Amino acid sequence: MPRSLIDFAELLTRVENDRELMRDLLSIFKEEFPRRHRALREAVKSLDTKQVASEAHALKGMLSNLAAREAAGAAARLEQLGRDGKSAEFRESLATFDNIAEELLLQLDARKAEVSG
Amino acid sequence: MRILVADDEIMSRRLLQKTMERAGYEVTAVGNGRLAADELCKSEGPKLALLDWVMPELDGPGVCREVRKRKEQSYVYMILLTSKEKRENVVAGLESGADDYLTKPFDPEELKARLRTGMRILDLEDRLVEAREGMRFQATHDALTSIWNRGVIMELLGRELARSRREGKCTAILLGDLDHFKRVNDTYGHLAGDEVLKETARRLLSSVRSYDFVGRYGGEEFLVVLNNCDPAYGLTRAEDIRKIIDLQPVQTSGGLVPITMSLGLLLSQEWGYRSAEELLQEADAALYAAKGAGRNCVKVATPKIQPDAGEISVPELARRRR
Repeated sequence: MPRSLIDFAELLTRVENDRELMRDLLSIFKEEFPRRHRALREAVKSLDTKQVASEAHALKGMLSNLAAREAAGAAARLEQLGRDGKSAEFRESLATFDNIAEELLLQLDARKAEVSG
Repeated sequence: MRILVADDEIMSRRLLQKTMERAGYEVTAVGNGRLAADELCKSEGPKLALLDWVMPELDGPGVCREVRKRKEQSYVYMILLTSKEKRENVVAGLESGADDYLTKPFDPEELKARLRTGMRILDLEDRLVEAREGMRFQATHDALTSIWNRGVIMELLGRELARSRREGKCTAILLGDLDHFKRVNDTYGHLAGDEVLKETARRLLSSVRSYDFVGRYGGEEFLVVLNNCDPAYGLTRAEDIRKIIDLQPVQTSGGLVPITMSLGLLLSQEWGYRSAEELLQEADAALYAAKGAGRNCVKVATPKIQPDAGEISVPELARRRR
């Protein structure tokens, strides 16, 4: 069984066991994440270091709020690369981020019934 | 208690908003720093704020700096929320004027505990402001009657004098003195005397407009400044005040005390460029004339009424009319 990329126990602590708020946050995430993810890819493609840092920062915040530590860490690495102007390392870090994000979305779908019930 | 939540990231904003609402706060949530600064700088804006560091238009430290620039407003307790954990970031955040600093993702219990610290500081500020206002009142008002004290009424008169000269408008000075007040104290006791003074102040206040000034000039002497009034109105008001004072006896702990007041009126058309003190000497001379005319009346000051008024000192005038 793959490791869980979202720590639901921690997430529930963050929302003080308010499952309605948790569903609300997950719903916002599902809506916002693809747009932000696309924007990050665009920024990486155009080697726009400032924009990479900005988009990665926003993604890091969203993922941290979801208690998705590993994905937030990957976003943080991209943010730091953007701030340091290390555009040569963008693609490799983005690929790592993409993989984690893909798995995270799959896990969210798999637990859809649980989190939306 | 109202709190401002400022975060451009919608999930954080929602999470903060819900957490705060559950804790009993009334939340205003905004998505950028400019809106946050505008909200906090309003005179009735929230006094507590949770500010994200990175925001469009104005960042969290920028909001703190703007709010701190406005020193005249009430204190705003601001907490910066951010993922920036480096020591230099903490220092920069606090240097910008933030009161506290919390790293994201936040723990709800820790956040609420820190906000309670903020509430304690705001409560302390409220008590300090209250104490300062109390001291300011004591410094500017007469302790017995709660109307302006002598220093302030003289200052207000000086200001009004300058304004009426500048704007070419008429102002009236009324100097009133309770008749036979010593007899009140001797007959009914000093407590009753104090009650008479308080009631006199109340009657004076009730008989002038909100923008006129009433102050205690001396023991049983009161100064009224009627702003922006034509000469006919000044005389009418002076007569009305005299009647209101005389209308009914004052109910005191020593019994019913009948009171009357003599008044000297000076209209600004007679002022020329003399000082407030000089003008008061003329009003005092008119008051002396009212005493001489049998008391409980108004006399208008003109240089012709009391040609020798300038030769009599103010203390001497006061001594003569009692």
